[in-house]
Amino acid sequence: MQKQYILISMVVMRRKIKVLISISICIIVLLAGIGIGSVPISPADIFIILWSKLFGRAIPPKISDITVSLVWKLRLPRVLLAFIVGGALSASGTVMQSVLKNPLASSYTLGVSSGAALGAGIVIIFGITISILGRLTLPIIGLTSGLLTVFLAVTFASKIDKNMENNTIILAGMVFSLFINSILTIVSSMAKGHLERIVFWQMGSFASKDWISVIILACIAGVGIPCVIRFSRELDIMTFGEEQAQAIGVELKKVKWYLLALSAALTGSAVAFSGIIGFVDLITPHVARKLFGSTHRYVVPLSALFGGTFMVAADLVARTVISPSELPVGAVTALIGAPFFGYIYFKRRKKG
Amino acid sequence: MLSVKGLFCGYNGVDVIKDASLDITAGENISIIGPNGSGKTTFLRAIAGLIPYKGSIRLDDKEIAQMKRKEIASKIAFMSQISSIYFSYTVFETVMLGRYLRMKGGVFSEPSKKDKEFVLQCLNAVGLTELKDRQITSLSGGQLQRVFIARTFAQEPEIILLDEPTNHLDLKHQIELVEYLKEWSHKDRRVVVGVFHDINLAMQFSNKILLFNNGQIAAYGDYRTFFDGDFLKTIYSIDIKNYMLNSLRRWENYG
Repeated sequence: MQKQYILISMVVMRRKIKVLISISICIIVLLAGIGIGSVPISPADIFIILWSKLFGRAIPPKISDITVSLVWKLRLPRVLLAFIVGGALSASGTVMQSVLKNPLASSYTLGVSSGAALGAGIVIIFGITISILGRLTLPIIGLTSGLLTVFLAVTFASKIDKNMENNTIILAGMVFSLFINSILTIVSSMAKGHLERIVFWQMGSFASKDWISVIILACIAGVGIPCVIRFSRELDIMTFGEEQAQAIGVELKKVKWYLLALSAALTGSAVAFSGIIGFVDLITPHVARKLFGSTHRYVVPLSALFGGTFMVAADLVARTVISPSELPVGAVTALIGAPFFGYIYFKRRKKG
Repeated sequence: MLSVKGLFCGYNGVDVIKDASLDITAGENISIIGPNGSGKTTFLRAIAGLIPYKGSIRLDDKEIAQMKRKEIASKIAFMSQISSIYFSYTVFETVMLGRYLRMKGGVFSEPSKKDKEFVLQCLNAVGLTELKDRQITSLSGGQLQRVFIARTFAQEPEIILLDEPTNHLDLKHQIELVEYLKEWSHKDRRVVVGVFHDINLAMQFSNKILLFNNGQIAAYGDYRTFFDGDFLKTIYSIDIKNYMLNSLRRWENYG
């Protein structure tokens, strides 16, 4: 018995060390994201600027005003936005994979991205601005239409299949997103003048984002991710199949709706503010599972951490490689992500 | 404790079970046997409240269809046949999931000492204590089966429903499991209902046998009162008694 408890505590210790390492890497990447660029800024200066800004202190004169506004107005919101978007996408990807019991599922499977793209496309083409929303018209309509698509797809699935089986949901999602994609293609082919903006919006970018977007998204992710984590036990149980989950006492249909809605909202709002960025939501959950096992109370927060870190790194690459122009970050994620994922996943598989 | 009356149920509006009625009292074990597609699994699913039904299934005088999931799951555990596993957990974690309704405390609090000990006890019962830190994806089919059986024990139910629990198990583990299940139900007057394909094992597990044929109860009760070569022949369309006797004769040639 004694030996068993020692073994358990060793596992806990190793896990703690891994978490600490992950957090340190994250902080280093965040600092790199703020520090690297046309004007390099040292970590020490970044700390001083953040400290003074947050606590309303005067900034020491050795740091120029340009540096301060570079950090505070441009790079910090950009890095934070990338971090939150990456985190929200990854947390939501984890949930989708477990709820739908499918390692290839993500919110995109259910049509969030195509719905959002159609909404955004219509806003761009017709130049719609809703006066109360102002500049937020595009993201908010993107979010609403993304969520609406998921809602329609899942409702449709639950109508044709009372038990809401996973395969029905996935198929309904695919049908809806393909259908909506084709509408978008038709709409954009008829509005060639706006084609470039639509395409660029879809590629995803964190450029020229302000604090308002950061704050809105931080609130959504700050509420959404903990709400998901509260359902970790249910998520664990649901990966064993729907019948078993019910037999163990999970109110399956209710929990499923709730989690699908939450993760669609997380992805939807991330997409609305940054465009369609793929890949993170699909792979970070697998990386987190490889390192920490499948238990969701670790996998959900840690995939969020990994996804955020990874997104900041991808954005850093996207904006520095061919500076002063930028690469689309959506392409960069897969460009660095795919080989990295292949390395981690298959190397570990061989050993384990 | 469980009373089924005029039960009809099935999938997509087609009834698989047609007009089944029976009573199960506390402390008894029941083996369900019958040819493929005769409704054994469907019957278990209906009792576990997993599929809609017509007629009535009452658990301690409460209609299953009107009970909440949690209420059912605190009394009835159900182990379906193994499906593929996508995400791996340790053996210990998997069995701990059976404590879902019993665990108190938030998501991040460690399971209580009582829960941990209970899980270890369940693992011990199926002989998996040694493997408790292994990943379930690295287990053999038989070991995995025993993990899931331990999880139904961890649920602390009054009734355990097992769909082919001895599937994937070697002979030694089949017999051990059957003996353990008998002991488990006998100890606290609980009920185990198991679907078996092996008629010998069914007879070893319980005297009471429920025989399904074409979605109807062909016989229910002490098998010694109705087992008879001709009767089983009409249901299984092979001469089971002769088959068994032939096997026996083959064994008699060995020392």
